[in-house]
Amino acid sequence: MSLAIPNGLDNTVEQPGERAPLVLGDTTYHDITEAVCQVAERKPSTSWVIGFLISFALLQWLGICILYLIYTGVGVWGNRSPVFWGWPIVNFVFWVGIGHAGTLISAILFLFRQEWRTSINRAAEAMTIFAVVCAGTFPGIHVGRAWLAFWLAPYPSLNLWMWPQFRSPLLWDVFAVSTYGTVSLLFWYMGMVPDLATFRDRSVNKWRRMAYGVLSLGWSGSSRHWMRYEKAYALLAAFAAPLVLSVHTIVSFDFAVSQVPGWHTTIFPPYFVAGAIFSGFAMVLTLMIPARKMLGLENLITIRHLDNMCKIILATGSIVGLAYGTEFFIAWYGQVQEEKFAFTNRAFGPYWWAYWTMVTCNVISPQLFWFKKLRTTPWMIVLVCIFVNIGMWFERFVIVVTSLSRDYLPSAWAYFSPTWVDWSMLIGSFGLFFTLFLLFCRLMPVINMAETKATLAKQYHVSNDGEH
Amino acid sequence: MFRVRSDQETTDVGQTFYNCELMSENNEKKVHGVVAEYTSVDTLLSACRRVRDAGYEKTDAFTPFPVHGIDKALGIKPTVLPWIVLGAGLTGTATALVMQIWMNSIDYPYIISGKPFLSLPAFMPVAFELTVLFASFGAFFGMWALNGLPKFSNPVFTDPRFDRVTDDRFFLYIDSKDDQFDRGGVEKLLGDTDTDYVQTVVDDDSSDKVPKPFFMMWGLVVGLSVIPLLVVLKMRVSHSSQPRFHVFYDMDFSPAKDAQQYSTLFRDGRAMRPDVPGTVARGEEQADLNYMTGIDMEALTAIDRPRAERLVRRFNPYFQGETESAAENETEGAGKTSTEIEPEKKPVTVGDGDSDKSEADEVPDATAEPSVVEPTPWLDSNPLVLNEKVLADGRKNFGIYCSVCHGMNGSGNGLVNVRAQKIISPDWIQPSSLHQETLYANKYPDGKLFSTISNGIRKMPGYAGQIKTRDRWAIVAYVRALQLSQNASIEQFKNLDDSERAKILKEQIEAKKALKDKADAAAKAAKEKAQADEKAVLEEADAQEADAREADVQEADVQEADTAKAST
Repeated sequence: MSLAIPNGLDNTVEQPGERAPLVLGDTTYHDITEAVCQVAERKPSTSWVIGFLISFALLQWLGICILYLIYTGVGVWGNRSPVFWGWPIVNFVFWVGIGHAGTLISAILFLFRQEWRTSINRAAEAMTIFAVVCAGTFPGIHVGRAWLAFWLAPYPSLNLWMWPQFRSPLLWDVFAVSTYGTVSLLFWYMGMVPDLATFRDRSVNKWRRMAYGVLSLGWSGSSRHWMRYEKAYALLAAFAAPLVLSVHTIVSFDFAVSQVPGWHTTIFPPYFVAGAIFSGFAMVLTLMIPARKMLGLENLITIRHLDNMCKIILATGSIVGLAYGTEFFIAWYGQVQEEKFAFTNRAFGPYWWAYWTMVTCNVISPQLFWFKKLRTTPWMIVLVCIFVNIGMWFERFVIVVTSLSRDYLPSAWAYFSPTWVDWSMLIGSFGLFFTLFLLFCRLMPVINMAETKATLAKQYHVSNDGEH
Repeated sequence: MFRVRSDQETTDVGQTFYNCELMSENNEKKVHGVVAEYTSVDTLLSACRRVRDAGYEKTDAFTPFPVHGIDKALGIKPTVLPWIVLGAGLTGTATALVMQIWMNSIDYPYIISGKPFLSLPAFMPVAFELTVLFASFGAFFGMWALNGLPKFSNPVFTDPRFDRVTDDRFFLYIDSKDDQFDRGGVEKLLGDTDTDYVQTVVDDDSSDKVPKPFFMMWGLVVGLSVIPLLVVLKMRVSHSSQPRFHVFYDMDFSPAKDAQQYSTLFRDGRAMRPDVPGTVARGEEQADLNYMTGIDMEALTAIDRPRAERLVRRFNPYFQGETESAAENETEGAGKTSTEIEPEKKPVTVGDGDSDKSEADEVPDATAEPSVVEPTPWLDSNPLVLNEKVLADGRKNFGIYCSVCHGMNGSGNGLVNVRAQKIISPDWIQPSSLHQETLYANKYPDGKLFSTISNGIRKMPGYAGQIKTRDRWAIVAYVRALQLSQNASIEQFKNLDDSERAKILKEQIEAKKALKDKADAAAKAAKEKAQADEKAVLEEADAQEADAREADVQEADVQEADTAKAST
């Protein structure tokens, strides 16, 4: 199989009158099947086993911390008056943001007919779901009495005799995040069914065949089925596109609808959405670049894919930078004393180090992607993306903590410091994320084979290579 | 059902074995149709077209990915799925709106930010989310339902070669239910296309029973998941003599401390917290009663002893009423902690103006004798030593407490009043302007003004509990300064030389003239406007009349022309 070695073609350059190929090498349909299936079929590599053990250990640690938290109370966190939101909400917004890239790639790029999405959408969607799982954990335990978190749901309660308050953005958030999680799951699973059928048909083990047989629902590849399937997929994409924008908008309402200086701004929805896409793409790249190397998928996830994603990071990173500037301008232009103070305090107050870390990572580092050399050198992309991830975590930290720690009442001002439980939970949430992601790599088709084959078919058609 | 093969299914051995098996059993098994295999999209599509043109309708193609243009090549009709999705989405919108309106506007109305109970904008985010959720469910489940999936047993799966349909092979299938179906003809038709594999699809002879372990697993999961629910249900309907089990004891019984107890929460180990520095307990203030009440107590004792005693008692709860003079109690009255007001009946004293209504403790009582009419001996001057600092403090406190109603300049038009006028509040009484002559020092002594600030008047509450005594006197001083600022006569300025005096007088006259001119001009303009409006109305009426007339004439012309045409 010639798959492991790219054929040296530079597909980042568009030739006039000719589309640059998205699948490289002398790849056939069967090669795609082989390349993707071997990831799940062969024995796990040492690096996978080590990675999984580390992630799983961190996940256990997260579980222990959650038990400790529930047993002891929320005082184990650094959340003290006046910063009651603290790291749990910082982590929640961070993970929800990460969870935006998947559906964006699947839905919006699908609607725009960006075919380069085909080989990265599956893993990105999986990431979305795992990130939403991580995100959902934090508000769930942050409610204080985690065993009563179901009170968020509007159910006829015999204990409360009352309903949730639908005019609160916090309740909108419950609906937005759970709808997003559900729709992303449907979208991901539906996209995976034909590929699970491929897994089923290649299985030699009885139980494996049965498991994939159930998961693939008896998919036969019938053209009538494909027709309805494509219609349903397009419809889901059309719903998921506004949904993905609505989710972070509503998350930003949690802040913007309140009256805390530094939060009460109308710029929050677009600014949060851009930040979410920014961080999501950075996370996708951080994961995909090592994964494509380790799993030998360089001909399917090509330099062109990385290049395109870097451009999106550059664009959204610049939007985020513009938003930072606009916030400061409005704080000055609006002439509200508290707002002015909130922003001066952000940049030059006790949390100046967090603010400038954020600016360096989010505004300056993506600007490196103006250089094509950087956009096409995988290890450099990973480096920049890790900076972006750090920066985006700090962005949420800056927004949540600096505003709360110094609001209207100077006598209540205090400096926030996290505890070891805060740290453990942040690191543990990465354990949860990577455990799920590594399991996904082993058990599920990491690349959308059906769509990639369709892309390949078009490529044959264009180059008029009827040999196949 | 789940067909299991021991080795790679596409190996020649397996295939040959399958074919032999098929040949020997063909006669007994039901034939579902015929399938042909292709290796590329183009050969499949041309075969499809041929089959379609030959008139077959119950056909299907099986491909590893959606093939563009196959619906036309096979004659597949569009799906109704979008309509299902539309219905589901609208159901979602309706569900969300009905749910929110019922829950928050009808069944359990919440008052949030003074908004109406039924405020649609706030219900939009959830309505949007549920629309998307329901529509997505519609698309997802609708698609599987229309496709007849999940369906684990499918005759096409019997052929091991068919496993490559999810890899790199394309199949064309003609169903035996088709009207034209004739096995030999179909095989020949398909054989003529660009294929090297044509095969009959026969019944699946593998067991159609779901394997037992699957059922057992399923049963186990369902059984286990029901247990907690059953336990909860049982607890809801049963009674127990045991005390309730407290998972988190300290959350159910919060460890609140009593006075004098030890606590580990604070560094000093005390559960009681010391007062915030600067706290003044009630009755603790050390000052004489004239200063506290704004009344000359000695004079009041001479006129109205019971009232004086009552006032003393108010500032000193230990006072029994036997003391000779209230003035003696002034010093004893300090340092105590209660200000209970005794609802003792007493004659109404009527001072000058609206006077004593300002004293909160003096409720007018119809049963009391109205004949006792005694003026209150208010303090005439401010007991504070007046200087710039006192005035500055007065100004600061006036800005904090008084200006919201009385306005920054004391004209009685503060922000609260502006708002109240705007919403036409029915029980609002306009705050007094502090520049009325009745409130000047000669008619409304400083002590009375102090008492009004302390105890309130009409709708105005007393501020004794919020503003320190000294600062209330400072406000009195500042109010006097304000009054002077708006109504000073030139005679009150002693240090002016003649030229300055003349200049001010001149300016005054000019200002008055300017004001008068402005008022005249405004009146004139209003008058002219009224006239102009009247005139415009008249003119408009004239114009309409003229238009109507013109229209009549035109109509008549047209009619004339018509009749002329008709006649020719």
